[in-house]
This record gives sequence, C-alpha cells and structure tokens, in this order.
Amino acid sequence: MLEAIRSKVERGERLSFDDGVVLFRHPDVVEVGQLANLVRERLHGDRTYFNRNMRIETTNVCVASCLFCSFAKLEEGAPGARTMRVEEAWRELEARLDDPPSEIHVVNGLHPGLPFSYYEELLTGFKRIKPDVHLKCFTAVEIHFFAAHYGMTHREVLERLRRAGLDSLPGGGAEIFDPEVRTRISHDKATADEYLEVHRVAHGLGMPTNATMLYGHIETFEHRVDHLLRLRALQDETRGLQAFIPLAFHPDGNGMRSLPAPTAVDSLRTVAVSRLLLDNVPHLKAYWVSMTPEVAQIALRFGADDVDGTIVHETIYRAAGSRAPGALTAAQLVRLIQEAGRLPVERDTLYHVVREHPRAALPEAALKVRERKAAKHLEVLP
Amino acid sequence: MTDSRLRVAAVGYLNARPLYEGLDRDPASARLRLDCAVPSEVARRVAEDEADVALMPVAAAATIGDLRLVRGCAIASRGPVRSVVLVGDAPIDELDEIGVDLSSRTSVVLARLVLRARRRGGEPRLVGRAPREALEHVRGRTGALVIGDPALEVEGRHAHVVDLAQAWRELTGLPFVFAAWCGRPGALSGDDERLLERARALGLERRPAIAAEYAARTGLSASSLLSYLREAIAYELGDEERRGLERFYDEAARAGLLPPARVRFFDEDRKAPSPAPSLDGLLARAAEGKRLSAAEGERLGQEASLFDLGLAADAVRCRRHPDGVVTYIVDRNVNYTNVCTTSCRFCAFYRPLGHPEAWLLTREELGKKLQEVVDAGGVQILLQGGLHPELRIEWYEDLFRWMKREYGLGLHALSPEEILHVARLEGLSVHAVLERLRAAGLDSVPGGGAEILVDRVRRTIAKAKCTSDEWLGVMRVAHHMGLRSSATMMYGTVDTLRDRVNHLVKVRDLQDETRGFTAFFCWDFQHERGTRIEPGDNGTVLYLRQQALARILLDNIEHVGASWVTQGPEVGQVALRFGADDFGSVMFEENVVSSAGTTFGMNAGAMESRIRAAGFRAARRNVHYEWLTPPA
Repeated sequence: MLEAIRSKVERGERLSFDDGVVLFRHPDVVEVGQLANLVRERLHGDRTYFNRNMRIETTNVCVASCLFCSFAKLEEGAPGARTMRVEEAWRELEARLDDPPSEIHVVNGLHPGLPFSYYEELLTGFKRIKPDVHLKCFTAVEIHFFAAHYGMTHREVLERLRRAGLDSLPGGGAEIFDPEVRTRISHDKATADEYLEVHRVAHGLGMPTNATMLYGHIETFEHRVDHLLRLRALQDETRGLQAFIPLAFHPDGNGMRSLPAPTAVDSLRTVAVSRLLLDNVPHLKAYWVSMTPEVAQIALRFGADDVDGTIVHETIYRAAGSRAPGALTAAQLVRLIQEAGRLPVERDTLYHVVREHPRAALPEAALKVRERKAAKHLEVLP
Repeated sequence: MTDSRLRVAAVGYLNARPLYEGLDRDPASARLRLDCAVPSEVARRVAEDEADVALMPVAAAATIGDLRLVRGCAIASRGPVRSVVLVGDAPIDELDEIGVDLSSRTSVVLARLVLRARRRGGEPRLVGRAPREALEHVRGRTGALVIGDPALEVEGRHAHVVDLAQAWRELTGLPFVFAAWCGRPGALSGDDERLLERARALGLERRPAIAAEYAARTGLSASSLLSYLREAIAYELGDEERRGLERFYDEAARAGLLPPARVRFFDEDRKAPSPAPSLDGLLARAAEGKRLSAAEGERLGQEASLFDLGLAADAVRCRRHPDGVVTYIVDRNVNYTNVCTTSCRFCAFYRPLGHPEAWLLTREELGKKLQEVVDAGGVQILLQGGLHPELRIEWYEDLFRWMKREYGLGLHALSPEEILHVARLEGLSVHAVLERLRAAGLDSVPGGGAEILVDRVRRTIAKAKCTSDEWLGVMRVAHHMGLRSSATMMYGTVDTLRDRVNHLVKVRDLQDETRGFTAFFCWDFQHERGTRIEPGDNGTVLYLRQQALARILLDNIEHVGASWVTQGPEVGQVALRFGADDFGSVMFEENVVSSAGTTFGMNAGAMESRIRAAGFRAARRNVHYEWLTPPA
C-alpha cells in the first residue's frame, strides 16, 4: 500500500490528497516516519534548528469563543482576564537582557477595547530596548481582527505594524481550514480564506510567516490533508511560509474537554505526513510545548527539523493542561537535539545560522550516525 | 601506574594447561599477565574488555562475535576425547532425557547437533543439572552429558557411552575444536602470537609433569591422564581443525543454537583487512528473529537507523505475537520501606536506618493500599523495598501470609538484591530463603536491581550492590524452583553500548538455561534531585533504540514491555511500535523513580486507549502474561 507512495517520495514527486489519507491511515507509523525522514534528511541532513525566543501574551481578553481554547477570557474584568500595560511587556524583555532572546513571539486574544496604538507602541518599545530583536507577532487571525475592528485593509494593518517594528507573523490561528469543522470549533474569527489571505498579503510585502494546524479534536484525516494542501497551494503561489507547526489539541479547561488529547503516535504521524505533503515548505517544527520535549526528540526523526525555541513564558498550552516545562534553556535544547543523534544549529527567526553546535557531547556517543548532508534546498521569499 | 601488560585469560582445566604452562619459562612472557578462571569467566573478560585474549570455549567466542583466533593453538580432538561424553544405562539414541550442565555451552551444542543428526532431527529432553547431580540421575532412559574430570572418573562405569568428539568425527570426518585463543581484532601482535606458539611447544613437552601433578592432586591414574593429554587432545589449529570448527559454527547457526560465526585468524587481519558484512543482511536476520552475537548487536546499536531498528523489532514482535495484542496489568508497586544500606548513586529514594525521613510501612498503611488494589480490580502487588538491616525473614513470611490471607493478591515480590540480603542476614542459602518465602506466598520474582549486569558499571554506580553473577545466580535458583521472573536493565549512567549489549546477552544466556524470564523491561537513569551521578547516554530516541535492540537480541524471551512510568505515557506508547507487546502496569503509586522527579499517571482506560491509538488491541494480563480480558 505504501509502496507507490514510497517510490513517489524517492523520486521527489508531489503526493496527492489520496496519498495523504493513505499515510494517515497506514497502520505502521514507523514506516510513515521513515519516509518523512527521507525527505527531512534530503532537505536538512542532520541539521536541527532552534532559537532563543521569548513568548509574551499581553492579553487574554478575546471576543472569539473557540471551543479548543483554555486561554482566552471573553471580557475585560472577567475572572482571570488580564491585559498587560505595554510597559509591563517591555519589562519582560528588559529582565532578560543579560541572556537576550533573538526573537519575541507575541500571540494575544482579540481584545475589543484596546486602541491600535497599543500594538504599535508595544512593538516600538521592544525595538527601542533591543533594536536587533526580531518581532514575530500577531497571528493572521489577529491581523484580520485588527483590520475589521480598526477599519483598515490587511495590507494597511501589516504596513503600519511593520513600521512599528513587526518583522514576521507567527502561524497560529489556522486551526482546521475545513469550513464545517471551523464553524463548529471557532465560528467567530477569521475564516480559512481570510487566514490564508493575510498570509498572502504578508508574503506580498516580503514578510515571511509560519503556518499551523490544530489536530486531534473533531477533525478527520481528510480534513487534515485538506488543510495541508491548502497551505501547499498558498506556498506554491507566494513562497512565504518558512515553517509549518502541527499543534496538538489539549483538552483541559476548554469547550472540548470531554475529548481525549491526541496521543504521541498521532502526533508523530502528523509530523511525518505534514513533512511529506508540504514539499514546498522548508521547515517543520516539533513544537516541544505542544508535544513534550520527549516526543519532540522522536519527531526529529519523523520529519521535523526544528524544535522552536527556548519559549520562556508560554501560557496558552499551559492553560490547556500541557505537561511540558514552561521553558528550556538553549543548553537543554542543544542536548535534546544531540540525544536524538542530530546536529544542533542555533538560528535566528529567518533561519540564518547563529551558531553550530557539535554533534554529540554525550560521554559515549551512543549513536554513531553517518553524517547526512542536505541535497535539496527550498527558498523562502528571495 | 597502569599495568600495560597484555591481559591473558585461560581456562584453568587440566586439558588447557599444556597451552600456557610453558609461558613461565619464556622471558618474553614478562609482557603479559595470565589469569586462570572457569570458562564463563574467561569469556566474560574478553566480552567486557578485561582481557585482551583468552583461551575460551568456541561457543562463547561465537556468542561474543567478531573475534580473531590464534592460528595453530587449540584444544581439539581428532577422535575420542574421553572427557566429553554422553552416558546412559540404555542406548544413548533411546534416551528420553539427558541431564546437562547448561553453562557448558560448547559441549551442549555439540551434544545437541550429534543427537539430532543421529536421530534425524529428534532430540531427547535436556534438563539442566549440576554435573555430579546429572550423574546421580542416570538410570533407565535418563542419561547425562558428562564433561571434564567426572567424565574421566566414570570411564567404564556405564553400559552406554557416546564420546562426542568421536561422534563428531564420524558425522563430519573432521576434528572438533573445543577451545582456542580468542580476542578482539587487533588485540594481538605477531610477537604476541609467537609467544603463545612457543608456550604451546614448551607446554606439550611438559605433559608428563602436568599429568603427574594432576594425578597426585585428584587420585586419577597418571598414565591415563598422560594418554588423555597426548592422544585424546590435539593441541592444533591447522586447516583440518579450522574446517571442523567452521562446520560446527555453520551447523550450530543453522540449528539456531549459536549466532553465525566465522573463523578468522589474527594473522589474516594483518595481511588484509576483514570486510564488514552488510548492515542490511544483519538487519534482515534481526527481523527474522535469528540469533545475533554481541558484536552484531553492538553494530546494530551503532549503525542502524532508528527506523531500521524499530521495524526489525516490530517484525520480531509481530512474529511472536501475531494477534496484535498489547497487554497491561492492573497491579500496584508498593515499597514497604525506604531504608536501604546500599547508597546507590543513581537513587534518590533510599534513606539510612534512623534517618528522620526513613520509614517502614505499617500493616495499616499497607492494608489500605492493598484494599485499593482489590477495589480497582487489581490482580497483584509488586512489593519491593530497600535492604533493611533489621527485617528478618520471619517479618517477610508473616507479611506475605497476612497479605495472601487478607487480600489474596498475586505477590511479585523482592528483587534478587533483597533476596540475597535476607539470605546473608539469616545465614541461609538463596534456595532456602526462596523456599520459605514461596511457602509464605511468594508467586514470582521481579527483575529489579539488575541495573547493568557488568561489574565495572555496578562498582561505579552501586558499589554495595550484588555482583552481576550474584544477581543472575538468584534468578537461576528461582527459575530452577519454578518461580518465574522478569528481567530489567537501567542504563544511562556510565555504561557504554557494549555494556548494554553484554547485559542483554547475559540475560539471554541465563534464559537459554532456565527459560524462567517472562519479560524484559528497560529504562534510562532518571537524573534528578537526590541522585549523585551525572547522566550518560539518555534521551527518548536512545530509549526506543535500546528497547528495539533488546527485542532483537532477546530471542528467547517472550515479552518486552514499554516502560511508560519512566519515559512518560507518550513515549511509552510510541515504544509499542518499537518491539514492545506489553504496556506495563497502571499506576497507583511508585516511589523510587518518582522521588527522582519522574511522575506520570495513567489508569486502565487511558492505557487501553493509548494501546488502541498505537494500532493494537488491548488485554489485561496477570504476571504470567495470560489474558484476563478478551482483547479489544
């Protein structure tokens, strides 16, 4: 069953919708992982990326009522609702200047009561404190909300934020594109087309973005494949997606709390199939906050080439019951990658190499893996 | 100053002495250090890199794998050897049962090949017995394989005798090689080899003196011993002997009794490098469930990809358990005390006696835990503690009886270390302790405390713990009594891949003898607050590799379990696709690992759904891995 797909992968041919479904349904996840690893090593060899980044969520007030979310509080003043003043957010960066992040990653709720200048000031302030910090802020869903709320086009929002310091967009808010699923789990925020359009506009402005998929709730394998192929089509058009990040649904404290969380086997399979279908997106992240650092290590052999970053302060997955630690140091990430037998490479947000680490600092190199060199290269936004 | 002399180990038996006794007359021998030991110990030293070269039985050399031999020197036989014989009161080919010393692997394999050939594939039942005990059992249709001095002592006493070297000669027309000088590639220089050759020449001249000395010590006839050394044993390893050994390796591998082995001399490596066999061929043999040598296991551990290992292990799992069922057990790990005298550096759980945080569970506390297990539909208690210096055997007996009487749960209790501790404390044999505990309710023995069954590692991480041989010895006794046990491995401290593979091979060797292990579990050292050793080889990818390698190498152990308690439910689930067919136990509590910081919880429902999400059906089991619920 997998043979036809295997030969396509070996020849570097594009996989179809049906191939994607077959891969999701194939009983042996290890075989699927092996195929994905082939592609991963073709693209990146043993190189495995991470960065020093810092998550800041400045408000959890949100007008959307997504079923899967344990983070957002609907109204200002509701129990647990919290909005930072910009000075508080800046202080978080100032507090870390002795070991500064190269990237700040802001994801917020859709707050109806803040002026647009709040976001501009937020970014300007970060750049004032650390001019070379990369600001990867606000998901396409937030950008779309800003456009509607403040009466601007997507392009106007992005241009104003870019002037304030925005460098790229994170990939959150994609959830599942299929309209039926999306209506059920997050009916009152950007549609799939709107999400994709924001990315398209950003790419048109020369601004790279990431993309995500929230899997493991009420969607089917067909919905996942559909989601991935819509991203692949966008990427064919724009070449602006740097990385794809599959996000595992976590059920604690949200509107789908009766559903089980996806298991590690599903997570690894999703990483693998994503790698195989998204043949035009250079990087695939094993987001350790979502899948735990332990499973992320395995994912580095199931198609992923990036573990995201040090994170420092994540509250969205925490609220949904993630057992992963809140932060990992750069040294811990290096070790995590080394233990998986890979070559750790510290990068900046745009995948420029900051520092290459040695292959394994283990007392006894447990894995005498042969050096694997990348044989293929995917460009993002020349 | 480190001793840089060549480390030479040799079997100390009479028939080996002519090969090395000449060394003391050779001034060049100052550059080597010779130690004599029993065959298993000699082989162990080469396997664990404590000896550079050893005069060892050929089956042990095949098990280690990829060794080189010294050309010209061997303990061989071209006809009757007299000291390796099958004896019986009935014709040997009509025996139903043969008592054998299963640790004498070369002779046992030879006996089995000869018996199978003579009976066209059929084989009598082989029963492990100590040599003298085996002889006492000879009557009717029960015979014995007799080796060494006992064989010489009983010459002429039994109506029916098959000399195995003679039988081999009749079968193949070739000599039989029992032992040879073996070492890892490159271990010997040409000078070293010439030294051993000269020693052999000198030793052969000294045969009369060796025989006379031995006769004086044992009371055997000196002339008979001399003729044994002169005629029965051929101290040659020429072309004929080489063909005999190759034939033996070939037939033993074909019968699945030994890993496939080649005969290659040290001097051949010096002429041309030895080509490495293909990794794919090795993986294919692994996937077929064929027996691999330690060297082959090490090669897989070093060079095979995670997927190759996983798919091969999964193929093995699939052949053994074609129903696609993964089992789990509802039991409870109860630690009766945290008092322990061993101070292992990897352990954050123990406290010395009298420490403010030391505790010993009361009956009341225990009862509460046991009742919870009964209420949850549990079937067993895994009871382990520390080496408490004040608990006598009566304490355990009373406890076991009370637990059995009040709660009726299976009792999987006391790791070998604790059993040894009680035996020492009471001045009783392990056998006597186990008999008394079994009478009080012990059902099976958990395989904890194995850590790494390589003493160099054990001395570093757990100085006060029993040796590898002691651990295995307790299991041997338990298995011979009919008690089943699990086997474990905790790696990731100072151990190397070679240590881990040697651990697996030791477990496999004992399993060949006893068939008493039900299952194997491994996990890595849980480095946390309270432990006093740095982590070594760790990580979840290594866990999956290690578990897969265990499934591949442990070709005689039925079950391999995923240790989700240490790896987490997520990685535990993934491990089911890397050779495991068991998901361990639901978690009520566990103190040792969790005091090192690892805490996960999973109930039966969560275990079953993870098993199913990995593509298997789930069934509850008991300690014997019998299904208690239909797979679903």
